[in-house]
Amino acid sequence: MKVHEYLAKDILRSEGIRVPRSVLVTEENLSTEKDLIVESIEKLGFPQVLKSQVLVGGRMKAGGVKIVDNIEGFFKEIERMLITEIKGEKPYGVLVEEFIPHESERYLSISIDRNLRDIAFVYSDVGGIDIEEYSRKHPDRVIKTHELSELPMELQGFVGRLKDIFVRYDLTLLEINPFVVRGGEYYALDAVFHVDDSALFRQLWADEEETESHFVELEDGNVGVIGCGAGIVMATLDALVEYGFKPANFCDIGGGATAKVVYDALGRVYKITNKVVLNIFGGITDCVEIANGIVRFKNDNPDIDIFLRLSGNNEIIARELLKNHGICVVNDMKELIESFKKGGVKDVFKV
Amino acid sequence: MKVLRREVSKMFSRFNKVCVYGGTGKYGSYHMKKMIEYGTNVVCCVSKNKYIDKIDGINVYQSLSEFNGEVDTAIFFVPAQNVLEAFTDAIENGVKNVVIITEHVPVHDSLKMLKLAKSNGVNIVGPNCPGVIHPHENFKVGIMPEKYFRPGSVAIISRSGTLMYETAKHISDGPGVSIALGLGGDPIVGTNVAEGFEILKGLGYEKVLLIGEIGGEDEIRGVEYAIKVGFSPENIVAFFAGRHAPEGKRMGHAGAIIEGERGKISFKEFYLKQLGIRTVSFPWEVRNVWKS
Repeated sequence: MKVHEYLAKDILRSEGIRVPRSVLVTEENLSTEKDLIVESIEKLGFPQVLKSQVLVGGRMKAGGVKIVDNIEGFFKEIERMLITEIKGEKPYGVLVEEFIPHESERYLSISIDRNLRDIAFVYSDVGGIDIEEYSRKHPDRVIKTHELSELPMELQGFVGRLKDIFVRYDLTLLEINPFVVRGGEYYALDAVFHVDDSALFRQLWADEEETESHFVELEDGNVGVIGCGAGIVMATLDALVEYGFKPANFCDIGGGATAKVVYDALGRVYKITNKVVLNIFGGITDCVEIANGIVRFKNDNPDIDIFLRLSGNNEIIARELLKNHGICVVNDMKELIESFKKGGVKDVFKV
Repeated sequence: MKVLRREVSKMFSRFNKVCVYGGTGKYGSYHMKKMIEYGTNVVCCVSKNKYIDKIDGINVYQSLSEFNGEVDTAIFFVPAQNVLEAFTDAIENGVKNVVIITEHVPVHDSLKMLKLAKSNGVNIVGPNCPGVIHPHENFKVGIMPEKYFRPGSVAIISRSGTLMYETAKHISDGPGVSIALGLGGDPIVGTNVAEGFEILKGLGYEKVLLIGEIGGEDEIRGVEYAIKVGFSPENIVAFFAGRHAPEGKRMGHAGAIIEGERGKISFKEFYLKQLGIRTVSFPWEVRNVWKS
């Protein structure tokens, strides 16, 4: 999950990393506590940097960062920025920061390397860059390592503290782009944090939002896809495309799904399309639960077209149940895709 | 590439003494029973549930240290937030093989477990995996439906659970399954593809079906390693899921996300074909690839 910059900087500040002094302005606090906000803003001095608090990348290019020189400039920009969407995302607020004069900018990120299965540092003495692009063009100016000791000596204390934050806050990405030197101290001018979704139970500072990966809507599709297990759903989706169809979604209901889970999944897919392919195959899945969910949904929404492959526990009872409600079923994935291709000629769905 | 050396011959056999962590829960107890029925030598169970001291004839302890006997293998059904604690308990009490079924283990906990595993000579499979089944040994530390794994000659290495069952079913109609290793769908897993091949090599299995996904480049690195250590490219067949998955979206598994060109199936397939590896486009095609 991505974390807003102001929150990431609050954490850095509380952990002793220098960040610019700042005020977070939202539509709400600007209307209810205007005097206090203005007083705090003036205390920051000018020029100031106004930064739209959105989670999408490329904020700078999209006009989400502005420098203002006086309070009039602040008012002129703040009203606009608070309501201006960046790449379709409404900002949470605007972070107003003191301007830190600096001569050069640097880049640092800490992430987890899947291949090394370890923490990886990426450092460049040129900051404010697109690191992917820059490291392709100037590989000699970018250090990638999983050893703190391979970074420039003078940085090791600073990066060591950031690494400690990276671990304790369960981050999967900590990117400071750029950081600058002022009076011998490092200042983080920007901060991108991604926190591990699986660790939210112990990272209570991170507001849990919908970070679902079990349902993904796909562009321009018209065939719903539901299955039990990420791999088999992806494979079903692939097979449909290979056979010339356009899947509308990815929906993994996992192993051991209940009737309610099936019903709810059908409900979500039904909002997009009324043709649904279900590929249910697993060890612990009770097919009667699946069948009950489908039958209930079909009763409530008779125009839904269901193409079902079902194997697992109690599959014979489940098939009978489905048959009694006029829903037919196959027990092989290839048969499922091919019968769907035939337009769901009901004959091929005979049990 | 660093690959841990293991005493492979002692792994995943009927002689392994298995402890089930979290075997008192609904999910854990169901699978513990299934494993025992299949032939796995389950010797004890560890659970935080203080009110159960025996389940399906198996003694339940709060910690493995309370058990007066030998255990070399553990399987985890415990909730994600307790996995690291359970892992520490297991290795402090002599466990050498750990299979972690649990999904949503924090990635920093996985990194810690990997470090501990390395310094203690412990092998991890998972997290977020279906486990391991070795049909020739009637040994299963996992959650796969055993009826689809008829003993035979083709080993399966898979990042996906259900696709492992799906392809195993087809292989069982043909040459049969020698062993199946479910590596798991997380970005950081204890046994990667290369280490999976290492296990197969130790067991002497030569024919391999590799089930991969979008994301990362573990399949490529793993197959390169396999060929280096003597696997013959014509004995390896790969199937990938996610050919038509959108970029940048996580598809169910934490690790199944395309970030960059190399994580795409088109790249993985292209690369493996250059190494002389056959790939198939549909799961049901695996049935016939070893016929000729």
